[in-house]
Amino acid sequence: MHDCELHSRRHLMKTSAAGFASLAMAGLLASESRADSSGPTAAIPPQFPARAKRVIFLFMKGGPSHVDTFDPKPMLDRDHGKPLPFPLPEVTFAKQGNLLRSPWKFRQYGESGLPVSDLFPNVAKHIDDLCVLRSLHGTNPAHGGALLKLHTGSDQFVRPSFGSWIVYGLGTENENLPAFLTICPTLAHGGVNNWGSAFLPAHCQGTPLGNASLSSSQVGVKHIANPELSSRAQRKQLDFIRGLNQKHLERTEYDTALEGRLHSFELAYRMQSSMPEAQDLSRESESIQKQYGLDNPVTADFGRQCLMARRFLERGVRFVQVTHSDSDVQWDQHGNLYQGHTKNAAEVDLPIAGLLQDLKSRGLLDDTLVLWGGEFGRTPTAQGNDGRDHNPHGFTMWMAGGGVKGGYAYGATDEYGYYAAEKKMHIHDLHATILHLLGIDHERLTFRYAGRDFRLTDVEGVVARDILA
Amino acid sequence: MLHKYCWLTSILFSLVFSLETRAEEPISSADLEFFEKRVRPVLIEHCYDCHSGEERSGGLKVDSRHAILKGGDTGPSIVAGKPDKSLLIEAIQYENRDLQMPPEQKMPTNQIADLVEWVRRGAPDPRTATPDDNHEPLAGMSIEDGREFWSFQPVTNPELPAVNKSDWIQTPVDHFVLRSLEQKNLTPAPRADRETLLRRVTFDLTGLPPTTEEIDAFLADDSANAFEKVVDRLLSSPQYGVHWGRHWLDVARYADSNGLDENLAYGHSWRYRDYVIDSFNNDKPYDRFVIEQLAGDLLPDATVETRTATGFLSLGAKVLAEPDRNKLDMDIIDEQIDTTGKAFWGLTLGCVRCHDHKFDPVKQTDYYALAAIFKSTRTLAESKTGAIHHWYEHSFATEEDQKKAEEINAEIKKLTSAANSYKNGLVTELRNRTKEQAAEYLAAAVLVSPQMSLVDMERVAEPRGLHPRILHHCRLHLEYHQDDPFFKPWHKLAAVGDPSVVRQHYESLFAEMQRAMDAAEDKKAPLSDERLEQARLAVNDNSGFLALPAKPEYVLTDEQIAEYHRLLDVAREFESQAFDEPAAMGVADGEVAATIPVHIRGSYKNLGQPVAREFPEVMRMSKSRPIFPEDGSGRLELATWATSTEHPLTARVIVNRIWGWHFGQPLVKSTENFGVLGDQPSHPELLDWLAWNFMDRGWSIKELHRLIVHSSAYQMSYHHPQFEQCAAVDQENRLLWRANLQRLPAEAIRDAVLSVSDRLDTSLGGKTVPLRNRQFVFNHTSKDHTKYDSLRRAVYLPVIRNNLYSLFEQFDFPDPTMPTGHRNVTTIAPQALLIMNSDLVLDSADAFAERVIAASSDSESRIEFAYRAAYGRKPSADETRYVLAFLGEQSAQGEASPAAERENWSVVCHGLIAANEFIYLK
Repeated sequence: MHDCELHSRRHLMKTSAAGFASLAMAGLLASESRADSSGPTAAIPPQFPARAKRVIFLFMKGGPSHVDTFDPKPMLDRDHGKPLPFPLPEVTFAKQGNLLRSPWKFRQYGESGLPVSDLFPNVAKHIDDLCVLRSLHGTNPAHGGALLKLHTGSDQFVRPSFGSWIVYGLGTENENLPAFLTICPTLAHGGVNNWGSAFLPAHCQGTPLGNASLSSSQVGVKHIANPELSSRAQRKQLDFIRGLNQKHLERTEYDTALEGRLHSFELAYRMQSSMPEAQDLSRESESIQKQYGLDNPVTADFGRQCLMARRFLERGVRFVQVTHSDSDVQWDQHGNLYQGHTKNAAEVDLPIAGLLQDLKSRGLLDDTLVLWGGEFGRTPTAQGNDGRDHNPHGFTMWMAGGGVKGGYAYGATDEYGYYAAEKKMHIHDLHATILHLLGIDHERLTFRYAGRDFRLTDVEGVVARDILA
Repeated sequence: MLHKYCWLTSILFSLVFSLETRAEEPISSADLEFFEKRVRPVLIEHCYDCHSGEERSGGLKVDSRHAILKGGDTGPSIVAGKPDKSLLIEAIQYENRDLQMPPEQKMPTNQIADLVEWVRRGAPDPRTATPDDNHEPLAGMSIEDGREFWSFQPVTNPELPAVNKSDWIQTPVDHFVLRSLEQKNLTPAPRADRETLLRRVTFDLTGLPPTTEEIDAFLADDSANAFEKVVDRLLSSPQYGVHWGRHWLDVARYADSNGLDENLAYGHSWRYRDYVIDSFNNDKPYDRFVIEQLAGDLLPDATVETRTATGFLSLGAKVLAEPDRNKLDMDIIDEQIDTTGKAFWGLTLGCVRCHDHKFDPVKQTDYYALAAIFKSTRTLAESKTGAIHHWYEHSFATEEDQKKAEEINAEIKKLTSAANSYKNGLVTELRNRTKEQAAEYLAAAVLVSPQMSLVDMERVAEPRGLHPRILHHCRLHLEYHQDDPFFKPWHKLAAVGDPSVVRQHYESLFAEMQRAMDAAEDKKAPLSDERLEQARLAVNDNSGFLALPAKPEYVLTDEQIAEYHRLLDVAREFESQAFDEPAAMGVADGEVAATIPVHIRGSYKNLGQPVAREFPEVMRMSKSRPIFPEDGSGRLELATWATSTEHPLTARVIVNRIWGWHFGQPLVKSTENFGVLGDQPSHPELLDWLAWNFMDRGWSIKELHRLIVHSSAYQMSYHHPQFEQCAAVDQENRLLWRANLQRLPAEAIRDAVLSVSDRLDTSLGGKTVPLRNRQFVFNHTSKDHTKYDSLRRAVYLPVIRNNLYSLFEQFDFPDPTMPTGHRNVTTIAPQALLIMNSDLVLDSADAFAERVIAASSDSESRIEFAYRAAYGRKPSADETRYVLAFLGEQSAQGEASPAAERENWSVVCHGLIAANEFIYLK
């Protein structure tokens, strides 16, 4: 029932001034996009001062190789072709060969002098804004398990995705748009569970725009337009429905659920115009379009996703995920590493750089957390003669903006890049850190379900305080 | 395992020993100094953050001598004098990948050495207990206290309580409801009017609205048992099983695909769905229903039907590509225990995998005693497709079926390879052509730069008959391989900027290479001339400078791609509809594990004491221990025990859900948690009375329905004359002083939309998921081929995990990976978008309008017909006027034509469907 959700509503709200008002509204959808509105999606103050207000996750599906991008390993050059001098994990995804050096050169960039490979020459120009997390590790060596672990913290059960936890914790700044959007997500390997809200209230779930098999130029929210009625005719119809409902309300006692449904139609009606407006990239100047690579077919598809994402962020969407995946497993180079990674990086490098530049020049980067990475990295050992296997034991992600140190490398893998070794950062730690940046204590963001208080980080999670700016 | 067990025991012995002997001994000053200088600072630096004061990660604190010796969830952290037997030392040495502390990184070697030395010395430690050492970590209830907890007490048969307003009593349940109301000085709402009651009971028992004919018949029947006749009619309609079977499918987390990591079609799970629907229609006694689902394969009279029932244990989502088989097995068992616990006993047993229950009287040994039963059960087949495990199935195939299936398999393979060889042929063709053009590519590369966009690349490539993406790649490759001797000349010559010089150089090099190759005897042997050999390798390296793009989309022309996709679609279409060997998902007995060890913190890599098969201790009804067969899993014993009339939970849990499905509010709100953190029953005696009588009447669900729907409690109105007073006492209506306002479930909303527009197909049963067994719903592609445009009842629409039908997803269809006995109701904007704009609703509104127009030529009669179809009642005069006025406005705007008239009525009908009354039952 409506009140289940309210009883266990955001734990942190109990202490906030807005809490009681929200409780009284009992499941209502706020009718306005005001910050002070009090529907379930309304913005909620963070638990402590937040460094970031919103998140954009640039997800590279398939597992980009850390030793070929942001984590150079000179020992691989030295010992190329030799066996790994320490044991492999007990369980590996496939049979692995000897060490394989990176086909790419690394160069130092910026004042920080952090190295980036030739795969990312444009992102490299922003290295002084990047906080490179080199000691990520997870638990699952298969795509499905690893995607679920990264997105939900669990590779065994269906759990809320971290985007929906964030929406649950913070609400949204603009109720005319979904609070959590995921652009061109992959439907394989966990699919909707990767943006689903599981037992959290339904408004916390991610709204998908298209999927990985669609071009980003064709994507939209389901049922966002009426194929038959003009907006004016639909407005009249809505007024007619409103009248029917009011007559029904007169026949029933006042009921918050019925009242809430009236509001939901109004909100849906407004969303019909605000969504296409936010998605309309033709409103951007030519130079901005170029900055995101929209003029080049190689970069246009991902560039459109990034630019759309920025428009959403700007309009108050709390969490946007952008997925780089084609109808294959994009970054999954078991073979053909050189060519595959070259192509993949060429598709995203310029748009990501464009996005960072754009966020920065609009002053959005300060309180927008940018997160980049895949579900795992790749092994420093070879598969075939030009491929690398999945490696959840040590890999790299990076953050930018949102209160993290720029030009900073956190943690390290071993000398070959196989295992996370220093300042190890498990997926749970990543989640704890992201919540911390948003002003949420991961141990206090809980939801009571089936008799248990659930957390994004389960019983784990340590905030990586070193990376806080 | 045995080894590990002895090892733990020895820890315990030495712990007792060391505590007793060493506690009194004073610490020598040398030891004290060692501790203060080399141990305490290290513990503070690396461990205290998570293991001191209030912080006790993993149940462990290390800030006092007592605490460190006592240890945490995994047992004592150190064994004084024995570093190699101390978990703390094992953890800091970082040798065991599953036990590493501190988690972020290994401590410096000298500090590790110090701690080892300290333990070797006997862990001398001056730190006395801290105040909260005696504060035991949160622990569950003891078994003894558990037996006192309400839900674990035997079911009683309470007396019917005396009430004042005895003329209100229609069935015994009314005694309990009325008594609770009278105790609070509340009065029940009056009886609902007949139209409301008919709409309520028809949706409740069949998930469908009453037809106008049914309304007429009921209103015309003034016999005393008119309502009884309606109930009998509904309970004997097969649509009853369709609706109530779906309730159970919520509990059974039913789905037509695996979901999780690899979304393979459960091509046979429909047999379980049909089994459930049939069971409800046949009023199968619930005890038998439970036994069949847990152990239908083991019954002496096992049949296709009872084996199909065991699909219950197999339907869970599995990480099918999990490479760690041990983990996979234990994960599947965990899912089975969790689901069984929630579905039948309202217990959250999943938590107990890692530790004793933090709240309920369930110990980790109870969990592994159950796990042994499931470990002795086969849920997975031995076969695999690549890395993907297959689940076990009961095959019902004849030889003929098998032969037919094999032929079909071969045909699918043929179709798939037709597509692939078409594509591969084209790729090979392009690859050969590219090799012939090698010199031309290198020449053209002079004219382009690595940063150039693809559009510019095309301008150079196309006039030369080259592929722009290969040229782009070629140029990048040259950039990255400047030091390669084969490419060095290119960089030198390219600097001049004249492509013909480059062409000349490489043409002659390749010609020379060709001559050498023609002359060579062994065509595969390397050429002796190093320069020519380099050229040979470079040209023939498929990932070299002439590499083709990885995606076929970038290699082939649009027409070729279209043809390739067409061929793939032909194969996929054929596979989706192809014949499958008849089989049912289910389980069978496997190799019997009479005991399995406790998995410390849930890990099979960390094993503790072995436990034998047993039932959870707190629910054991008899002092005599069950005898489990040596040659069987023990599931039949489990099922028999679960359905004993002495079991405290089985009957309570199901009658509570059934009550909730009728009233929109169960007696115990937490339908899957009857434990300490669950809710208390609103009417404890009623719950017991229902459970007792349910068992007493042979576990008949239809009898229970009758008891409920014939009660005054069920037949109350939503409107209460003293609404304010009642709401002031009991706002949530927990005591049932009026009927709840209930929103229809997703399926009923969808079926009602089709029903009022006369489009619903009510045929029963059969396979409906448009996928062959084990076919990928999506593999690595994200193309969604599932269609939901069938007009059959919603229960027959595919339930695709990871990608639910949007109407289901928006209207609170439960997550089909978890047992759900009571659905949420939420209101979100996407629901409104769907109702406003989806084809389902728009098409149905058109069809509804056709019906309305055909019903009469007069607008007022049409409105009356529409209201009766949509809401089961006549419109008020005011409502009729309102709709008429709207119609008038609509038609004033356009010209008068039959099409415009249909359009206007369609807008009205759409409005009626979208309005609250359509989906909210009073």
